[in-house]
Amino acid sequence: MNLRRSPVATTLLLLGAAYCLLPVLWVLIASSKSAGELFSTFTLAPSVHLFDNIAELSGYRDGLYWRWMANTALYAGIGAGVSTLISAMAGYALAKFEFRGKSFVFNVILAGVLVPGVILAIPQYLLLAKVGMTNTYWAVLLPSFISPYGIYLARIFAAASVPTEILEASRIDGAGDWRTFGRVVLPMMRTGLVTVFLFQFVAIWNNFMLPYIMLGDDKLYPITVGLSGLLNQGASQPAMYTSVVTGALLSIIPLIALFLTLQRYWQVDLAAGGVKA
Amino acid sequence: MKKFAPLVAALTLLTVTAACGSSDDDTSTESNEKVALTYWSWAPNMDKVVAAWNAKNPNIQVTVNKQDGGDPAVTKLLTAIKAGSGAPDVMQAEYQKIPTLVSADAIADIAGEAGSLKDKFPQGSWNGVTLGSEAVYGVPQDSGPLMFFYRADIFEKNGLQAPKTWDDYAAAAEKIHTANPKQYLGTFSATDAGLFTGLAQQAGASWWGVNGDSWTVNINDAATQKVAAYWGGLVEKGVIDNKPMYTPEWNTALNDGTQVGWVSAVWAPGVLEGSAKDTKGKWKAAPMPQWDAAGPATGAWGGSATSVTTQTKHKKQAAQFVAWLNSDPEALKLLATTANVYPAATAATSVLTSPPAFFADQPDFYTIAAEAAKATKPFTYGPNVNVAYSAFNDAFGKAAESKKAAAFTESLATMQKTTVDDMKNSGFNVAG
Amino acid sequence: MSLITPTRISTPAPAAPAVARKARRGGVPYAFLAPALVLFVLFLAAPIGYAGYLSLRKVKVSGLGLGSKSRTEVWAGLSNYARSLSDPDFLPSVGRVAAYGVIVVPTMLGLALLFALLLDANRTRESVGKFSRVAIFLPYAVPAVVASLLWGFLYLPRVSPFADAFEAAGFAAPNILSSSGTLWAVANIAVWGGTGFNMIVIYTALRAVPTSLYESARIDGASELSIAWRIKIPIVMPSLVMTFVFSLIATLQVFAEPMTLKPLSNTISTTWTPLMKVYRDAFVRNDIYAAAATSVIIALATFILSFGFLKLVGRRAFNQED
Repeated sequence: MNLRRSPVATTLLLLGAAYCLLPVLWVLIASSKSAGELFSTFTLAPSVHLFDNIAELSGYRDGLYWRWMANTALYAGIGAGVSTLISAMAGYALAKFEFRGKSFVFNVILAGVLVPGVILAIPQYLLLAKVGMTNTYWAVLLPSFISPYGIYLARIFAAASVPTEILEASRIDGAGDWRTFGRVVLPMMRTGLVTVFLFQFVAIWNNFMLPYIMLGDDKLYPITVGLSGLLNQGASQPAMYTSVVTGALLSIIPLIALFLTLQRYWQVDLAAGGVKA
Repeated sequence: MKKFAPLVAALTLLTVTAACGSSDDDTSTESNEKVALTYWSWAPNMDKVVAAWNAKNPNIQVTVNKQDGGDPAVTKLLTAIKAGSGAPDVMQAEYQKIPTLVSADAIADIAGEAGSLKDKFPQGSWNGVTLGSEAVYGVPQDSGPLMFFYRADIFEKNGLQAPKTWDDYAAAAEKIHTANPKQYLGTFSATDAGLFTGLAQQAGASWWGVNGDSWTVNINDAATQKVAAYWGGLVEKGVIDNKPMYTPEWNTALNDGTQVGWVSAVWAPGVLEGSAKDTKGKWKAAPMPQWDAAGPATGAWGGSATSVTTQTKHKKQAAQFVAWLNSDPEALKLLATTANVYPAATAATSVLTSPPAFFADQPDFYTIAAEAAKATKPFTYGPNVNVAYSAFNDAFGKAAESKKAAAFTESLATMQKTTVDDMKNSGFNVAG
Repeated sequence: MSLITPTRISTPAPAAPAVARKARRGGVPYAFLAPALVLFVLFLAAPIGYAGYLSLRKVKVSGLGLGSKSRTEVWAGLSNYARSLSDPDFLPSVGRVAAYGVIVVPTMLGLALLFALLLDANRTRESVGKFSRVAIFLPYAVPAVVASLLWGFLYLPRVSPFADAFEAAGFAAPNILSSSGTLWAVANIAVWGGTGFNMIVIYTALRAVPTSLYESARIDGASELSIAWRIKIPIVMPSLVMTFVFSLIATLQVFAEPMTLKPLSNTISTTWTPLMKVYRDAFVRNDIYAAAATSVIIALATFILSFGFLKLVGRRAFNQED
């Protein structure tokens, strides 16, 4: 496959990369500026105040920002973890078993993909309030445990990567259904499940509406809600642009790190699903 | 059983979580029992003010939950009220939201619990929490009388004085913009309904009113028409800007000296310091430009009361705390110096002796503010202020974009109709 | 459900006998499904049902509405729906979203397909390919709220580097957030955020295509372009269809971007998109009943559009499942 290189392809790809990186580059530069410079110097001229800004952000209400970061990690990590397990179980059942009501269940779950989160947030709040669970970690975690999209993907991966013969063999060996699931199915679905985990992780990390509605105590906020609060403090408070820009930069870093580490899974994964079936 | 392990696990989880969620209520209302109150506020450093109370009242411990500002806090409170749980015990409530909150049965009448506070507040603020009735729906915390802020250096360069009347303001706006087409004396911000309301209030409008058993709505009255036509005229001429405030662009304009004046309220120094720190020392505060120089008047932008919610189980203790917070001399001093608010209580003048840091060169800052507070015209808010405000946002957004004075005055008719329709649809008695 | 498994499309025969041997074992599948179903009912079905119920209710105020007992919830029939549909702002907001979708979906998927094909064609240095793939995918990691904030800065003439560039070149800087530009401004954020994700989906589908399928065409001297057009695109069509459907759903739900840009501009009204109207009714006007009615309308429209589309293309694109 030693094809000749094409300058057109290279140019197009680099243009695309530049387009995608531009705002990231901007936030990097902007967070190096002092409050005054942010609104006075040339937009793309960097400055030297990055660490001052981080220190100032960290000092805001005794390091509340880092608490938000930890909360976000908790919501996204636990939420995506549990959601992945639940999706794997459901996806496995839907892909590898025949049972009454299967297509009904699947269609209903699929319809769930279509419902916007904004619409769900208020009734979810009203229902959770009836059991007194609003304004707790659970209020954000529990609704994120269920991901119709995750189940949909897990079903594809289970169908593609778990050969029925192996299940039969495991059963003949006398392994119980749960043991088979834990020892045979999960490992085989591993790459696919990493994708499901990433999807759900990103979805929770980026979620704004649900925590915004559910939480009254800012010590429980995730990053998105916290940052938006720094911007909208009401007319009598200045919008804290410098802190918000710095906070935005810092909040992107963990996700980028996660993507870079799991990059191999990302691409192998969906492809493997297609080939191995 | 083994087969159903995950189901059992899921159910256990739910039970556990339900138990976790509902653990924070103590049902007793005995006054010498220890109670914990939550307090939603968006004023900066309010936790430090409250710490002084907590130190002295070991049995009534108050926790501050900082909120994102007036609108989100009210949204959350109303949702919690509707849900039947989740509301705090004490809540910061802007004056314009009080009728809405009372109408939603979200804040409690504490006339019986708060003691006699009426004489400690100016009448205007006090009316804001009583709605003209015998009930007391909160204790006034801060007020936001309108004032005018300008770049003294630019005014001097153009040979201008602080405008005494709106005619002066218009002339100054034109002179400044003509001398330097990049400079504007102000902007008409369609995202700040509160400011426009204050300007209408100054001109003598009162958008809502109670007439017997009916509400009246007068958004499209002569006074408001005058204000809308005035600002529309300036925008159409192009001598003031038409962009929203509080944007990065506006911050830039404050920093680079192209936005050289701001019609704002007493809390403006905090915003200016946060948005354009480097321009410190160049600004001056002045009383509002007047429609009638002989009868000085002003309006208000912002200002809030502290209310006790209807979901509290400790109404008495909450009312005690609220009364202390907004009338005790120690609390007033903390409010003014730590939380940076302009306390509504009349006694506050004694603690506000030195000007805010951003206006360090202007020793008479709080004298001007006190004059403005006194000259604030009466204004009645209705139960659907948010409907009127979002209608303002949409209608005036279009008008500002079109830069046509006629569009400004027509927008008032839209606001009036939207507001009345909404009230009628909900079943309020509306006259006319 | 025949439509749902795009990645299995390239799957050759073995699927069929496997299906026949799928287990039939009493309660086991239900036990595996149970946690998902319980959570689905609690956090999706119940809230949706509750929203449906709310959409048929309204609050009736009596008199001045200031006493604590002056508010009662009553049945509203379909009046909330009637009000929602007859709201003069509703149709324009639907039209806006339609126009937005017409801009976003083809642009985003076109770019995603282009980049995926370029990456797959392997015609650049490996480092360039790797770098671009990561770079283009990166915006997916940026929450829409943050992305809109960043782009907001880049749009506003006074703080934008583009405006500086224009001025340096001697032109007047265009105001992107003006009445004609806002739609494009919002669309750009969506394209920026979504292209990389779709590119990865298409790219992985392309990687699954056995090279033998087009190696011979290549040897016969077919150009990369015609290989892409005649062989690769038809093979990844199922992936394209699915990305199309999910993009369509995301389009109809556009909310965070215009909501974040709104305070920066006069041109984004509180009812700029249907979901913003839901937000305004629920959170600004405190009328959750009207919000619920509009929500139900949006959910139905999404449902009809996406399933309708799947039905339309389904027969041809997904004719292989069981």
